[in-house]
Amino acid sequence: MHELGMLMNGVATLAANPMALLLSLVGVALGIVIGALPGLTATMGVAILLPFTFGMDPVSGLLMISGVFFGGVYGGSVTAILLKIPGTPAAAATAMDGFELTKKGMAGVALGTATLSSFLGGMASILVLIFLAPVLAGFALEFSASESFALAVFGLSIIASISGKSVVKGLIAGFLGLLIATVGMDPMGGFPRFTGGYTELFNVPFIPVMIGLFAAAEAFKSFEDPKVRLGMAAALGRIVPPWATYKGLLGVVSRSSILGIVIGIIPGAGSDIAAYVAYNEARRFSKTPENYGKGELGGVAACEAGANGCTGGALLTMLTLGIPGDAVTAVMLGALTLQGLQPGPLLFKEHGDLVFTLFAGMIFCYVGMLVLGLGSLRFMGRILQMPKSVLTPVILALCVVGTYAINNSLFDIGIMLAAGVAGYFMQKWDFPASPVVLALIMGPMAEANFRRALSLSGGSYDFLYSRPITAVLLTVAILTLLLPLVKRWRAERAGVSGGPVEAIK
Amino acid sequence: MSNAPVQGGGAGAPLSTKIANLVIAVLLIAVAAAAIASTGDFPKTMLAADVGPARFPIIHASVLIVLCLILIANTLRMPTVADDTPPVGVAGYAGVALGILATAACLYAMEYVGYAVATVVYMAVLMWLMGQRSPLWNPVIAVVVTAVIYFTFQSALQVPLPVGSLFE
Repeated sequence: MHELGMLMNGVATLAANPMALLLSLVGVALGIVIGALPGLTATMGVAILLPFTFGMDPVSGLLMISGVFFGGVYGGSVTAILLKIPGTPAAAATAMDGFELTKKGMAGVALGTATLSSFLGGMASILVLIFLAPVLAGFALEFSASESFALAVFGLSIIASISGKSVVKGLIAGFLGLLIATVGMDPMGGFPRFTGGYTELFNVPFIPVMIGLFAAAEAFKSFEDPKVRLGMAAALGRIVPPWATYKGLLGVVSRSSILGIVIGIIPGAGSDIAAYVAYNEARRFSKTPENYGKGELGGVAACEAGANGCTGGALLTMLTLGIPGDAVTAVMLGALTLQGLQPGPLLFKEHGDLVFTLFAGMIFCYVGMLVLGLGSLRFMGRILQMPKSVLTPVILALCVVGTYAINNSLFDIGIMLAAGVAGYFMQKWDFPASPVVLALIMGPMAEANFRRALSLSGGSYDFLYSRPITAVLLTVAILTLLLPLVKRWRAERAGVSGGPVEAIK
Repeated sequence: MSNAPVQGGGAGAPLSTKIANLVIAVLLIAVAAAAIASTGDFPKTMLAADVGPARFPIIHASVLIVLCLILIANTLRMPTVADDTPPVGVAGYAGVALGILATAACLYAMEYVGYAVATVVYMAVLMWLMGQRSPLWNPVIAVVVTAVIYFTFQSALQVPLPVGSLFE
């Protein structure tokens, strides 16, 4: 195959450039650290490192940035699993089951599963990028505002599945999140809504709320019980999951990787959406869906494979069409342009050797991420050996400084604190936090694209049913939302034991 | 009605949970109602084909009100059962309150004395609150952790941390 030959040439070129290999590993390592730190995202990591690449050759510079991108997406899962601090928005999905596994003394297996799944999802996406880029590029062009709206609604319909014990409480949390998501600038008219005159509220304070709801709330809960304060946080256990266990997850990883790749191709949809959608589909296809949310390895595997599967998809749209798939690829687009490369249909023709050298380097980045990730897990797991009386203050200090790092704003820390207090009480009274985070991600996307689609259709609502992708996604969304409710209602009526039943405490 | 075992507990709810459900539902109804009332000040859209800035907040707030009413109805219908979870106790809640207050105080102080001073004191206080009460190790650990975080963010990642208005 032509692409395979080009790839082999790329590997040979890369092997002769050890500096590029070293810089790509440096990028991966930095990306993992940046992704793990709350408040810092892969986008910020790429933006911070971009100026450093000006003096490098194109391959070295772009591979370093790619390494930060890949490592950043994966890195968020480490603190999400160990400490329930989602380092990235996508990791908020991983935290749902990852931290429950840590509480059960299976932090090591959770981390190992996350690392392996990230590697497999990312590698699959890069291979798709290499061999199927021209074929799939056209798919991105089928998506306009109405399809993006339908995708956001589909993402929101997952709320019913991640509601935990009480669907009503989960929906309340979701719609509260949707209401909070309307705070800020109106997407069409630019009118500030519910800001109270505070310019800091012109953008949805999504990451401070996420850090507060997950990490700070958990830390505040630690102050309750004096007996556990001086104890160790949790045991690490074995790192790499047994092959028999992971073999059973390969189906989940494959499906989640494909979902991640497809979602990554769609402009405006990133790894956070991919993680939640992959989680929901893994739960739907699982033989034990009731275990999700209570420490299910499949949940961790799905989120990480989906999130990392997004990387190749996002790069595909950016490289072939010049349309950035998400914020990170938007920054990378700038990096490519600075290096004299114009993304788009002609990139592969005019700079094919360089492009395939980059692809070879991206494969190397993911292999490096696997090695660095697995190799550092024991070291990172030592975090759990700290007494909680030291670990909890460290977590809160990281929450504070990580939140500040987003916009250099003390106001954001106030939002984080308020969200932490709200999250503490939500935990106490069984209101799940995940639907709030999901709503904050999907809500603005849903509203902006709906209103855009409505404008494009001249005020007619027929785009909701006349466009095939939109109609399919909306139908699936309705089914995804209603089916758990119907199942629970039927189980209540039949009095069947073992099924999920509405429980309002 | 089901007598089947339910995920997470029985078919009823402890009194404290029922009260919490009702209070939270009423609060959220108030918030949603206030949001709907606020949208009266939003300007009408200039675009003929746009629904305007108020539509989505009204939809979300309205659904939130309906869901809260459902929660209230379900809670009132549920029988009251004994609470089998271990109580937190006054000391526990006091610990939580102090932790939250310490975080608020850190935020307030950071504006005046900067990141370093505020965080060292904050961490030392939290460790004391968590039961770690060594007069030597508390400040040492607080200083070391603060310094590591400072170096990581300020120097390595080029994220400027607050200096404090007293020191500027």
